[in-house]
Amino acid sequence: MPDPVPTLPPPPTSRVRLLWNLLEGERPRYAAAIGCTLGAAIFGYGTPLAVQAVLDGVLDPAGDPSRLAGSARITLELLGGREFLAGHLWVAGVFVAVTAVLAGLCLFGRGFLAASASQRSIRRLRERLHQHLLRLPSAFFRRSESGDLLQRLTSDVETVQNFLGNQVVEMGRSIALFLAALPLMLATDLRLTGLSVVLLPPILAFAVLYFRRVRRTFLLKDEAEGRLTARAQENLTGIRVVRAFDRGEFERERFRAANEAHRRLDRRLFGHFAVFWSVSDLACLVQMAIVLAAGLHGVTNRTLSVGDFAFFLVAVNLWLWPMRMLGRILADLGKATVAMDRLQEILSEREDPDPSPTAVAPRGSSRATASSPSPRLEFEQVCFRHAPDARPALDGVSFVVEPGETVALVGASGSGKSTLIDLLLRLDDPTAGRILIDGTDIAALPRREVRRKVASVLQQPFLYSRSIRDNVAIGRGAVEHAADAEVLAAASIAAIHETVESFSEGYATAIGERGITLSGGQRQRLAIARAVLRDAPVLVLDDALSAVDTETERRILEAMRMRIGRRTTIVVAHRLSTLEVADRIVVLERGRVVDVGTPRELRGRAGLYRRLWEIQGEVEREALAGLAGGADPSSAPEAGTGAGP
Amino acid sequence: MSLADDLDDPLPPRLDWALWRRFLDRAVALPGPLAGVLAGGLGLALIESLRPLIVAAMIDEAAREGWSDRLSMLLGGWILLALGFAVMVWLFIEAAGRLGSGLAFRLREDAFAKLQELPFAYFDRRPVGWLLSRITSDCARVSGMAPWVILDLGWATLLMATSAAAMLWLDAGLALWVLVIVPPLAVTSRFFTRRMVETSRRIRRTNSMMTAFLNEAIAGVRTTKSLVREDAAGREFGDLASTMERWSVRNARQGAIYAPLLSTIGAAGAAIALWQGGVAVGEEALSIGELVAFCQYALLFVFPIQDLAQRFADLLGGQSAAERIEALLRAPVEIADSPAVRARIETQAARPQAGRAADGGLPRIARIDLERVSFRYERPAQDDADAPPGSRPPRADPPWIVRDLSLAIEPGQSIALVGPTGGGKTTLASLIARFYEPQQGRILLDGVDVRERSLAWLCSQLGVVQQTPWLFNDSIWANVRFGKLAASDAEVAMALVTSGAERFVATLPGGGEFVVGEGGERLSLGQRQLVSLSRAILADPAVLILDEATSSVDTETERAIQGAIDRLLRGRISIVIAHRLSTVRRVDRILFVEAGRIVEDGPHDALMAITDGRYRRLYLRQFAEERSISALAASDSEEPAGDGVRRTIPPA
Repeated sequence: MPDPVPTLPPPPTSRVRLLWNLLEGERPRYAAAIGCTLGAAIFGYGTPLAVQAVLDGVLDPAGDPSRLAGSARITLELLGGREFLAGHLWVAGVFVAVTAVLAGLCLFGRGFLAASASQRSIRRLRERLHQHLLRLPSAFFRRSESGDLLQRLTSDVETVQNFLGNQVVEMGRSIALFLAALPLMLATDLRLTGLSVVLLPPILAFAVLYFRRVRRTFLLKDEAEGRLTARAQENLTGIRVVRAFDRGEFERERFRAANEAHRRLDRRLFGHFAVFWSVSDLACLVQMAIVLAAGLHGVTNRTLSVGDFAFFLVAVNLWLWPMRMLGRILADLGKATVAMDRLQEILSEREDPDPSPTAVAPRGSSRATASSPSPRLEFEQVCFRHAPDARPALDGVSFVVEPGETVALVGASGSGKSTLIDLLLRLDDPTAGRILIDGTDIAALPRREVRRKVASVLQQPFLYSRSIRDNVAIGRGAVEHAADAEVLAAASIAAIHETVESFSEGYATAIGERGITLSGGQRQRLAIARAVLRDAPVLVLDDALSAVDTETERRILEAMRMRIGRRTTIVVAHRLSTLEVADRIVVLERGRVVDVGTPRELRGRAGLYRRLWEIQGEVEREALAGLAGGADPSSAPEAGTGAGP
Repeated sequence: MSLADDLDDPLPPRLDWALWRRFLDRAVALPGPLAGVLAGGLGLALIESLRPLIVAAMIDEAAREGWSDRLSMLLGGWILLALGFAVMVWLFIEAAGRLGSGLAFRLREDAFAKLQELPFAYFDRRPVGWLLSRITSDCARVSGMAPWVILDLGWATLLMATSAAAMLWLDAGLALWVLVIVPPLAVTSRFFTRRMVETSRRIRRTNSMMTAFLNEAIAGVRTTKSLVREDAAGREFGDLASTMERWSVRNARQGAIYAPLLSTIGAAGAAIALWQGGVAVGEEALSIGELVAFCQYALLFVFPIQDLAQRFADLLGGQSAAERIEALLRAPVEIADSPAVRARIETQAARPQAGRAADGGLPRIARIDLERVSFRYERPAQDDADAPPGSRPPRADPPWIVRDLSLAIEPGQSIALVGPTGGGKTTLASLIARFYEPQQGRILLDGVDVRERSLAWLCSQLGVVQQTPWLFNDSIWANVRFGKLAASDAEVAMALVTSGAERFVATLPGGGEFVVGEGGERLSLGQRQLVSLSRAILADPAVLILDEATSSVDTETERAIQGAIDRLLRGRISIVIAHRLSTVRRVDRILFVEAGRIVEDGPHDALMAITDGRYRRLYLRQFAEERSISALAASDSEEPAGDGVRRTIPPA
């Protein structure tokens, strides 16, 4: 579902069309639901009509069939005429029951059809949003706030769902009830009909205006709730700090303030509800009183029959109260279109462009190129900016990684190491320059082909909230593509197997919010296991073992080489121990390569690497001093640099 | 977004009245709103059951030719009832708002206060999000439904009673005919609400799973792309979305049967009234107005029964939330001031002795002694429902983490704890801070058992700096001031200077007013450590407990951190779980902790002098590994060894 043309926010007129488009394929069901709604409304008047017919046609001793209201006359005919009905009153009861059952069937049809049509549309919308999201460029995620994004994907979708599944149906019900009653009322008494709708416009207007006015309170209350949650969350996350500084009382005060603010707004919201419902109930009751008074007047004047009066009383009661809800819904209608707009904004974001499948070799043969066990990587004058007006994150970076070679990237944070890896994974595209894998520009390959060639471990690896086994197996893309034995083997290489076994549920232990929390080192090792299982020709370790002690790191790296052989590897590291074992080191500074060479070569030249190494040298001298039994560390100034060439 | 937890447990088979009684007691503590809700509900029921009677009288009166005073009176009465109705509606909604929000406020207040007292052990097995949903969604759920349950208990029962009474008064025989519909109404309601409660639970559960899934899709989008699992993720999400659709449609279908069925049964009642009532009117046993009233009563019965069933379902559905709140509020506070200590605190407050702490003891810790201390983490009780399922430890008895350990810490001494992960370093430090209490042995502060001193006083003596520093989403200044709330601006600024944090703070937009973001996310890890160290410097504790971070930071920050730690170690007892070479070299005494025991104890030089000592081995391997590597690299050839594996350390 790529949306190739990024559209501007849609004009208001097309908002309804957006909602309409959602119902694609479900419109017949929806139409049937509307039909059922009408049917239900019409059959709903069976009871008042029967009451009217019985009262006027049968029980009124002075009743004159010719003076009966149109609707009553038809009902009476339907029930077999005056004489028959008088002898068989149960027929009227059956009529009431049958119309009630028919109305019930229509209601069922409406409920079921509307729910299935809206739920199917919403499922498709959700799937579309999710798929689209996974194909959006990194730039999109850099400028979006994840909380806002999640809000859109959940509450906005729910708002649209509520609109399609409930509000439209509810509105349809209110209007159908009114529309079905209107001809019946008109056929009964014109004047009374007029009087019974007199307060309808103000009741509707009051609902719409009132909820527009108090909308702010809803927002404020949501915000207060958010602050309350944030306050509690912060306290719980930092509970050890709070305890450490004995700030429980201080924290309680702060929480109480947020709690109090929330209570106040909650109460204010209920206050608004209280005013709304009591005022609108009063208005409806006044409307009823008008019908009562006018009707009674008519009955005493003998211009209105008792049956007609009773019909009006029951009928108005039937449609008046839903009308009050209609106003409430009308006031909320804006929410659905706003929600739809916000979703459309996401949907019209341009997905990561890829060469069209026809422009590149078919998938089968591109896999063939991927089978090169250890490809050559070339970075050619690679430039990148995170935003058009930002300073370049990479500025003409060129270097080569030979097949099977391990190249380490070193540099201060912000020097562009991680950006380079993003570009290699085609999570971003260079603004200038090229990256070649075995001589092929990766820009000419589909992104997913490029990523299939790379196994990467990022500094703060992302683990999914699922079992440990799945988190490792996911290296194969789908968890069912890895056998348990393979998972276990990968975990052993990553030196995490024993830790996992110590958990009560072993590999089935869930990670994350609903399971256990892993330490940084454990997370990194799991991510390594995942990369081992992935077994791609290029290995990228972005500071991947920084939270693992050096001894374990060494064991893991050795085991990886034993298992997967010498793969073309890029390592980002701060640790000298990691850098030292690289074949070559690329020193980055502010997005530029300032030096390339073997560790040995770099130690011989002035520069960042040498400086790092000298700092380490001081450490070593202290160590030596310790071994020598307390000699003054400063007396051996050459110990570190002396090892250099 | 962890609404989901109450969905893991199956629907409770029956209502736990004892549990709900305790929540009712809390509602009784808000007598005003409670009375308002009840009065509103009862008032509404009375008015609603009176209305058909008045209308009946009106119809019958009108049938007698001409407008009469009685008709005016009836109309006036009806309008008065309408006014009363509006007032009652206002009253019960307003009161329900006060009752609900008041309950939520107090539940949250109590739960939060409780969480500030519970021992750390409680937090070990419970993730933050899990605890958070006790305070947010569980409290909201229980307090949100409470007013409606109370209202409907009053309103519905009274409405049914008065309506039945009115009908019986009008015509007992006909009333019995109409009341025939009550059992089917009740049975239908019970049948459907139970099922609908189950399907809506499934919907909520699927919904929260979907939210979690989307959250992960956003947070882990790079990983998902890198692993090329867009399609697999799409299939998984498609499954969830389909499950959501299935349960939603099923729930809607149940509702689409339930509501019409109820109104059909109600209409059946009206039909009976019309038929039998019509016959009665023909026999002049009943007036026309009364017949209309009967029809209305028959239709009226649907609502209270429907509502009662709904409230019953609410209680059933909310029971697990209520249980969890109760479990939290009743969780035992294992570590608290003993009655004797509380008595001493009162004595000291009443008759303050100069130079004494709030509990009457010595004001500042000078020395600490551990006497044959043993500790292991407790296995939670079998019936500990108050913990998330994934976090339950294995059934076997947990091993001892600290075993029979004795230690004397002299005034002003700085101590580094080193040793393998899991050896007990962190636990030992936590015991000294009384985050946990040992099962055996005792800990003495200046000769007094720590359990004989006030917890608050102990906290005021300690400065604890965590490995992963936690900052509050507030300004840097506010975060530092957390160490000493009464500190002046100058003191806060001074602490930042002393720690060396001032240099990076000056470069931030707004300087010290820079807001650090959730958990301090807008600062680098090293910067967070510096702020956290500044906080400890400002607190100037008698005893410092420092868990050094292992993660790498840039050189300049590293130097600043070293300087700050240096400054902190001076002039107090300090216990450092050490990872830095510079720190172990600087402390007075190093304890090598392994398997819960101190196996080596002494200053750096002394420990290094032990041939084949554990500390020495660790030191050589971990701290001095770089030396071996560079020595190796210097002698190594350009090309790696033939097997593709470069040995970083020559085999011993």
